[in-house]
Amino acid sequence: MIFGRFKIEPRLEPKLSWQIVSILLAVMMSAIVCAIMLNSAGVDVGKAFYLIFEGAFGTWKAVIKTLVKATPLILTGLAVTVAFRAKIWNIGAEGQLFAGAITSYWAYTMFQGAPSFILIVMVILSASIGGALYGGLAGYLKAKFSVNEVLSTVMLNYIIRYVLSFLLISGPWRDPSSFYQQSSRIIQAAKYPMLFGISRLHMGFAIALVLALVVYLFLTRTSLGYEIRSIGFNPKASRFKGINVDRTIIIVMMISGGIAGLAGAGELFGVHYRLKPDISHGFGFLGIIIAMLAALHPFGVILAATLFGGLVNGGIRLQVFTGIPTAMISSIQAIILLFFLTAAVLTRFEIRRVKANE
Amino acid sequence: MSDLFQSTIVISILAATIRIATPLLLAALGELITERAGILNLGVEGGMLMSAFMGFYATYASDSLWIGLLAAMVTGALLNLIMVFMAATLKVEQVVTGLALNMLASGLSLYMYKLAFSDAKSKIPTISIFQNVEIPWLSQIPYLGEIFFTQKLLTYVAFILVPVVWFFLYRTKFGLEIRCLGENPKVIDTKGLSVTMRQYAALLLGGALIGMGGAFVTICSTVRFIPDITAGRGWLALVIVIAGNWRPMGLVIAALIFAFLDAFQLQVQGIGVQLPYQLLLALPYVVAILLMVFKRGTSEEPKRLSVPYFRGER
Repeated sequence: MIFGRFKIEPRLEPKLSWQIVSILLAVMMSAIVCAIMLNSAGVDVGKAFYLIFEGAFGTWKAVIKTLVKATPLILTGLAVTVAFRAKIWNIGAEGQLFAGAITSYWAYTMFQGAPSFILIVMVILSASIGGALYGGLAGYLKAKFSVNEVLSTVMLNYIIRYVLSFLLISGPWRDPSSFYQQSSRIIQAAKYPMLFGISRLHMGFAIALVLALVVYLFLTRTSLGYEIRSIGFNPKASRFKGINVDRTIIIVMMISGGIAGLAGAGELFGVHYRLKPDISHGFGFLGIIIAMLAALHPFGVILAATLFGGLVNGGIRLQVFTGIPTAMISSIQAIILLFFLTAAVLTRFEIRRVKANE
Repeated sequence: MSDLFQSTIVISILAATIRIATPLLLAALGELITERAGILNLGVEGGMLMSAFMGFYATYASDSLWIGLLAAMVTGALLNLIMVFMAATLKVEQVVTGLALNMLASGLSLYMYKLAFSDAKSKIPTISIFQNVEIPWLSQIPYLGEIFFTQKLLTYVAFILVPVVWFFLYRTKFGLEIRCLGENPKVIDTKGLSVTMRQYAALLLGGALIGMGGAFVTICSTVRFIPDITAGRGWLALVIVIAGNWRPMGLVIAALIFAFLDAFQLQVQGIGVQLPYQLLLALPYVVAILLMVFKRGTSEEPKRLSVPYFRGER
């Protein structure tokens, strides 16, 4: 298309500056939709936005709380990033999170008598193994039987919820003194240490940051990371290049699931101190939005997860003061993604000055 | 366990199977048309959930089940409109778009429900639902009458739609064009026909069916709305399309398998058989995976499923 002396052309490599512009556009458009929703609910829009901001980043305490909320989101965001880079659509971070929580709780029951350090190391290890096996199962089904991973991971999400419910109701892990579906409280020695003494920010946050760096190095500096991006780009060509695509699919799903499993352990041993069904509020699904907004970049995941953690806390404050249901925030998060996908179309084109001889 | 084999219980399981199959079948037929047009719409669950809510809400507000049904179908079509705009016009990744729609529906339906009924905390809002329609003569047949001919109107519609959708896709010009979109859209394009417009039509049609399926979950089944009421039925519809090998008749069989498992589970719980109930609840999802693993024979999967069409490609 030609407009006067400018020409719009398809672009081969998306440019970072355009990517940032499209994120800003998406957030702006979502804010407008949010304002319309708030207005139609009869709430002062300016005041509502201020409440959200206050709840998210208004005070140091709020910032710490936001980072606590961001911790599982960074991990699920990273999990999704690794898989989506290979164009393997792992929708199962939610289920893998629970798988990790279940296996880490099992390890906790086995090593309860061990010194705190060993106990926590075992918990972390088993969480990532549990998540990796559960994710790897979907990878295996895709590689060996070409079962669509979107559907298998969704089904596995449902299945693990019933497994958890079985363990907590009919099974041995039920807290006999409680009416709710939950295990008894974990012992002090198993709790994740806090990062700044008395604050609520637990070790899981540090784990998440370190993993972001590890994932970044893994994707950009290792041959496996190269293979992952290569199958994402063109699986057929990768096969010709001698990459064992089936094996890579399984490994990718195991890595992805392993990271998501850590999110489960973090919530169990760092926040709730019990195994129960509501240790995750759709964190696995939010990880998908976060990874997309981050353009599948591990450092972007940290930023997007912090933004979303803030939105969640802001939504809670909004509900307390205005009665607007927190579900509005979930809607807005999905709307941000839709607008982002729309705006990202811009990054596929470039505007160029037409030269005199063209 | 012997209780299970009494004739009244068998009849009640089978009648429940037909009833439970209805929303699965409607949504799967809608998704079939969509996928035949080359677009993988993973937003079925969201489409069903949102239309289930809108059907409930419109019925509650207007006191008319027909307006509720219409609202649900329009909602389903609207969500698919977003899907097709993103997929066909903007050519965005279809998997991610579908997931975004699911999350949107899950948040929005809960938000609207809480907002609409926030002042009615003491009293849970309820509606009166569609009643069973007994088909004259046929409903009098022993056993069979109770199983097949004492159902909701939408159940009859769903099963009648199976041959109708088949006829549409395999015997009408427009249906053949839609199937062509999923196999080789260039043929449509080089004939000077619009690929995009046909995809819009297919998705609007499919969305209305998904909406009808969502409506069944509320205004044909329960007097009140609960969050996440569709509980994975949309995802099962996607599995049903695969397990049914993208053929209308195959869809019926796959839908009946899932419906039977659910009906069986309800009955077993009802008569108090000693089994961990979570096992039975998880069974449909396990079977879904097994069905996808053991899918045999040649796949009818549209070759261009989820591949956007760009003019001028080779």
